[in-house]
Amino acid sequence: MLRLSARRAGDDRVPSTALPVASLLTTLLRMTIRKHSIDEHSFIQRPVYNSRVPRMLDSTPRHLRVATVVWGAFFVLFASTLACANNWNAPEAQLAQKIAAVTGPGAVAVGFSNRSSLPKNEFDDIRRGLLSEMAALGLRFVPPEQAAATLQVTLSENLDSYVWIAEIRSGGGEFSAVMISLPRPEGASTAREAAPLIIRKTLLWSQDERVLDASVVDGNPSHLIVLEASKVSLYKLQDSRWQPEQTLAITHARPWPRDLRGRLVLRKDHLFDAYLPGVFCKSSAAGALTLTCRDSEDPWPIGVDPLSLNAFFAPARNFFPGVLVPGVGKQTTAPAFYTAAALPRENYILWLLAAVDGQLHLLDGVRDQVLVKTGWGSDIATVKSSCGLGWQVLADRAGEGSTDTVRAFEVADREPAPASPAIEFDGPITAMWTESGGTSAIAVAHNSETEKYEAYRLAIACGQ
Amino acid sequence: MRHIDWPLLVVSSLLLAMPARAATRPHYGGTLRIMMQSAPASLDSIENANAVANDPAQSSLSRLIFDTMLSLDSQGRPQPELAVAWQADPSHQRWQFTLRDGVRFHDGSPLTSDVAAAALRMSNPSWKVVPLGGSLVIECPSPCPDILAELALPGNAIAKGDGQPQGTGPFAVGNWQPGKKLTLIAQDDYWNGRAFTDSIQVDMGKNVREQMLALDLNRADVVQIAAEQAHRAAAEGRRVVRSSPVELIALVFARDRQSPEEGRLRDALALSIDRQSMKNVLLQGEGVATGGILPDWLTGYGFLFPVDADLQRARQARNEVRVSPTWTLGYDASDPLARLIAERIVLNARDAGLALQVSSAASTDLRVLRISLSSVNPSIALASAARSLGLPAPILGGHSVEDLYTAERGLLLSQRVIPLLHLPVSYGLSGSVRNWNQDNRGIWHLEDVWMGTDKP
Repeated sequence: MLRLSARRAGDDRVPSTALPVASLLTTLLRMTIRKHSIDEHSFIQRPVYNSRVPRMLDSTPRHLRVATVVWGAFFVLFASTLACANNWNAPEAQLAQKIAAVTGPGAVAVGFSNRSSLPKNEFDDIRRGLLSEMAALGLRFVPPEQAAATLQVTLSENLDSYVWIAEIRSGGGEFSAVMISLPRPEGASTAREAAPLIIRKTLLWSQDERVLDASVVDGNPSHLIVLEASKVSLYKLQDSRWQPEQTLAITHARPWPRDLRGRLVLRKDHLFDAYLPGVFCKSSAAGALTLTCRDSEDPWPIGVDPLSLNAFFAPARNFFPGVLVPGVGKQTTAPAFYTAAALPRENYILWLLAAVDGQLHLLDGVRDQVLVKTGWGSDIATVKSSCGLGWQVLADRAGEGSTDTVRAFEVADREPAPASPAIEFDGPITAMWTESGGTSAIAVAHNSETEKYEAYRLAIACGQ
Repeated sequence: MRHIDWPLLVVSSLLLAMPARAATRPHYGGTLRIMMQSAPASLDSIENANAVANDPAQSSLSRLIFDTMLSLDSQGRPQPELAVAWQADPSHQRWQFTLRDGVRFHDGSPLTSDVAAAALRMSNPSWKVVPLGGSLVIECPSPCPDILAELALPGNAIAKGDGQPQGTGPFAVGNWQPGKKLTLIAQDDYWNGRAFTDSIQVDMGKNVREQMLALDLNRADVVQIAAEQAHRAAAEGRRVVRSSPVELIALVFARDRQSPEEGRLRDALALSIDRQSMKNVLLQGEGVATGGILPDWLTGYGFLFPVDADLQRARQARNEVRVSPTWTLGYDASDPLARLIAERIVLNARDAGLALQVSSAASTDLRVLRISLSSVNPSIALASAARSLGLPAPILGGHSVEDLYTAERGLLLSQRVIPLLHLPVSYGLSGSVRNWNQDNRGIWHLEDVWMGTDKP
């Protein structure tokens, strides 16, 4: 009931999360309630309640009365649930009032058309709702030849709103149009998962501002740290939801480059470090949590223990120019790259670099081997698991578009081989980093429909 | 024991078998080569306010060099640019804007509230603009609830200096040969992040044929494509991007109707015009026939204005007047499409018993005009369109969609304008152009474009 009143207070937006089932049930209910009392071309009779006939109460067996109460309660609950999904009452009433103000009560012929993106079931629902509201205001629906006025109601839309319009032509040929507008909701997104060696994708956080990186700090309670361009936000897990706890501002003197990147690294002696282009931020070690930021050209950590490696980041660009600290074996320079992934071998660590030139470079400490057509995108990350070879590389896919995919690969020798089905994201991946601990990665996708940045935790689960 | 949901797996596998698109991180560097038809003699967006408002290419160039206080997103919602916050008094007549810190003009001087106030006073003489510390206070002569959308217009860009004005935009002017060539250089310290390309070269005054040839010979990366050629260009395998229909082609009378009889003749002309065949034949199916000034996608009510020709009613209206003068019909002689449309109107009018004579003279009874949508705010767009068409200012009684409809209908009932078509703006892109980003008005956002080395 609380949900119902909250919806009605808002009353101008379609519930984006309304389930199709609820929508269908709403339609069915409205059909049953309205179809018998309203027809576009029939005289409308307002329903009235009869007084109770006292002896009828006594004639009902007790078990039937109980059943009636139970069914009644169910119906009330059912109707309340349905009412939650129906949110068109206020605009229906508003447009009906505008129409009635022009036509007055009387016989009208009415037609409907849908020029908007509203689906047919919603359109039908609104049509019935409008007819009901107009009927309540004294309009009767008759064939055109018997009508004092004709109405053509069109559900249209513009950039950000639905526009509902009634064209009214009186018997004398006079034309007028009345209309209302109501905000159009943004679309909802969906996520899918797939199997055998499976990438488990868990949505951690979603927000309008760009998310550069995120990290979960396990504990009691657990915390989520979200790195943004201007701040680090901390959330506490409470009642299965991330509740805002603290915000720490990031100060920086120079403007951020376009395609801003950043990385969070959890530490043992203090909570975390944040690396941004030309800026290093460190959280306090003791006392109240604070964040200190300074201009810094220090290299960023690009691996995780025990596969650690640092690389300088170009402060006014979106890539690592290729200077490695301390280096991969004898190799201290590499081609400019966006992201790196490490795979431990028996005697060395193989580093995979997603280079700016679109190629994949494999550094083993001695050689720089180039793989040209991997089909990988710019973001790769290593994840440790108990499946397959034990270490997998997560890679997004090369190209441009409104969706993206991430897939796990294993590199037995030098050729990456797909190890999992790809998982899909509703927008391009804008960041992917291995999480501290190495058993999962954080992928941030920019949802093309909702325009929100969504931070996911990706981990490998073994299939059968 | 693990459980595998096989139906889900099958569905997922089918989904994964579909081609997926994805993102590659953008590259910095390179030069974007643009060709355009217009040849502005000045880059001053205040001096050229009308031309900039009516030409998406000039409007796009302006916003590369100059910033505005705000911008409008694809749904017309105001977004912070040089102003990071704003508030109005309850009457919406006095507004206060907080300026962004740390913004510099291309000559290195800081953006201050004094400079911003001077720029806005210049472009809006009726506003009282007062600097107030790091803020600006704007007082309009009457309530101005649409001021946020107005401040997003290129005509209200914040510029400094005379002659060659300085801006705070993502690109600075490197080389400028008025009406011919413009080189823009990316600003490393741009407050909203350096653009991906190093520079942009703009060749001006090139006709659409020259532009298409340059695209095919890989001498240009972005060219304008005439609306009537867009379908063919795409069918021939070129990369063509289109905006929403934003350009209005309309027939405009030079003066108000002088008598009820003239009104009937104007009715007859409006009813005689076959917009659908103009669209299908002259424009190869491109664009939308319209009876309204603003496009339907912006208002939602555009379909209320009739577009179908009705020759019977046209003749009836014509026959209600004894004598019909011969009207002269003008068009832009450099615009082949305008000429074709003018000729088609003469034929349609003749069918209704009206006499029109095509003329290239500067002064004619009516004229085929092309104007562009200046804003995604419909009230601003309607006022701007009325100005560009030489119509009286629309009378807006309020800010509801119904008020807008009433105002637009009022302009149409004046019988000064007969809207014909709304056309999209089309561009051809080379294979190297990545992350092309244009809004629904066809305005480029080149700071996000980057140059790839291979075909997308």
